[in-house]
Amino acid sequence: MKDMPQTVFVVDDDDAVRNSLRMLLKSAGVHAEVCASAQEFLSTYEASHPGCLVLDVRMPGMSGLEMQHELNLRGATIPVIFITGHGDIPMAVEAMQHGAFDFLQKPFRDQELLDRVQRALARDSEYRARLRHTDQIRERLASLSPREREVLDLVTQGKANKMVAGDLGVSQRTVEIHRAHVMQKMEAGSLAELVRMMMAVAP
Amino acid sequence: MDATNNGGTKRVRTIIVAGQSSERTRQVLRALRGFTNVIWPTSLESALAQTSSKDAGCLVIADDLREEPVDEFLQEARELQRNLPIFVITDPDDVAEAVSAMRHGATAVIEIPPSYAALCEEVTRAMQ
Repeated sequence: MKDMPQTVFVVDDDDAVRNSLRMLLKSAGVHAEVCASAQEFLSTYEASHPGCLVLDVRMPGMSGLEMQHELNLRGATIPVIFITGHGDIPMAVEAMQHGAFDFLQKPFRDQELLDRVQRALARDSEYRARLRHTDQIRERLASLSPREREVLDLVTQGKANKMVAGDLGVSQRTVEIHRAHVMQKMEAGSLAELVRMMMAVAP
Repeated sequence: MDATNNGGTKRVRTIIVAGQSSERTRQVLRALRGFTNVIWPTSLESALAQTSSKDAGCLVIADDLREEPVDEFLQEARELQRNLPIFVITDPDDVAEAVSAMRHGATAVIEIPPSYAALCEEVTRAMQ
């Protein structure tokens, strides 16, 4: 499946700022979409869309911090870069405590913003790759039979086939067969890889 | 304040202060001694070592570490103690430094001069 292109969403009530940021991002080869208000963004945003968000703190109606709160309630993981002309430490700390990726004071250098946008996009990309990986592992786990799942749990606890056989009340040969099926279905090349997979999806 | 009743003995959590801090900050931190232990280890290494103590309640990185790599120190402390509340005291209005501290693992950033009430509230909440 082809990945969706990354988009930088810019939410700022100031026309001039929106347009200059769009031009700046375009000049750096980054696709940008702009919104004039938090409500406009929230009404169209889909969490499946990869990218990052450049968000003004002070806007009429819903503020940037309120919008971040709303995104958190929705479980959105999009990295948020706050921009503000009137930032102070308590505001920055609050934004960061609630998961902001960065907090930038205006005026800032173009390159400063572009660097942060690139880092935010990289983080989003890594996060989504990790998510895809764990989804794949869960799909493979779901394909195991109940007995295979029992064998998987015991071997990843470090138990040898003989001990697993004793625990399950079956022959060692049966365990070996189940174990081979587990390795095949999980697409694991080694026990160590299998353990890493289980750790990746552990609650 | 966090005082654990452990077999009948009350365990008082310790505030570890890295750096000597300005006089105003020192006064506020000393005032916290009214309800908990406050210690000033003599070096950053010693402060880091103290964070591993079972009595460590929180780490305060004082405002005189400007010559030191604060973010590195902060990151190191965070790696050593994942859940330890860490407060950084910074220059007023230095938003960039505050953001950097938060990115490197600070629990909160407090501006100079810290008010007793603000620091007390933050520390108490974090140590609960």
